Amino acid sequence: MKTILSLVLVSALSLFSAAIFAATAADSLTIVDPYVRAVPPGQSVSACFMSIKNSSATAHAIVKASSDISKVVELHTHTHENGMMMMRQVEKMDIPANGETTLQPGGLHIMLIGLHNELKLDQKVSITLEFEDGSKKEISAPVRKIMMKGMMKGKGMMNGMKH
Amino acid sequence: MKKTFPIIIVLLIVACAYMLFYWQPDSTTHKTIFSSSATLPEGGEFNLQSLAGPVSLKDFRGKVVLVYFGYTMCPDICPTNLSMMSNAFSQMDEKELEKVQGIFISVDPQRDTMERLAEYTHYFHPSIMGISGQADVIREIADRYGAAYQMVVQKDSATNYVVDHSSETYVINPQGKLVARLPHAAPPQEILDAVRKNIKN
Repeated sequence: MKTILSLVLVSALSLFSAAIFAATAADSLTIVDPYVRAVPPGQSVSACFMSIKNSSATAHAIVKASSDISKVVELHTHTHENGMMMMRQVEKMDIPANGETTLQPGGLHIMLIGLHNELKLDQKVSITLEFEDGSKKEISAPVRKIMMKGMMKGKGMMNGMKH
Repeated sequence: MKKTFPIIIVLLIVACAYMLFYWQPDSTTHKTIFSSSATLPEGGEFNLQSLAGPVSLKDFRGKVVLVYFGYTMCPDICPTNLSMMSNAFSQMDEKELEKVQGIFISVDPQRDTMERLAEYTHYFHPSIMGISGQADVIREIADRYGAAYQMVVQKDSATNYVVDHSSETYVINPQGKLVARLPHAAPPQEILDAVRKNIKN
């Protein structure tokens, strides 16, 4: 009787603690400033960028992304080798424990291949990120022109926005 | 031991101060790589096609020409450089714009039609044109400019194939001579400076 009681107690306790401590990847990750790059008319590909903050002591990873905006969504990165920019598909994007991973031009990006319709500026693109533990997070990324370091200076930015 | 300790501290401070004020690895290597004309590739003439007809470098004598090799299916690298060029152009007045031409040479003639190229480049700026031609002709031009690229088949990816490519912008002076290379994602101000310097000369 005693053993059964302790067994029940132990399993109840472990279930309880699991509920407290085993937050899913989706719970632990915060997506900051997601956006999809505006592309020329007729362009069938684009890319989505963002920062991902991990507030947990466990490393997490994006293993898949999906969206209705294009036929296919893939995880890609760029590396710079032999003087060339090489774009390659990656299996996952790691987000270190208590760390941050940034998807940005020239590096990691979520690639949207075979856009169903032309992207419009400020249009919200819904993308679902799937993590290593199967949890998911849906994000809404506005379409915008990229602004990189040095592009904010001068009147050029205003003129540049016209077309 | 007690005496050497303060000496070490002083030495450390001196070393840090030296690093702070004199050690600028980025700016120095940057300058030597990209503005030393002694190491520049030969560049030179090219004859290709645009939607509006044949295009030769010699058509633009008297203008500063910025040449970039890329492909329109490029989701990130090419649009970044063309955005920078576009941003620089939109900071120029009309007189300056008359003295400059952006040229995007497609290294992916299989997928980039003339119509596609025209639409693509015009989106960035009316002063940027897209040109292309036969694969072997483009390769010969790229070699002379020191531009590298290769098609890489992507198994299990919907991209089918991607194009690895160098992403420098080539600055050609009004006499048709290659005078500088700008690195990937050179900010608009750097592009403006390069163009203005060569308009004057």
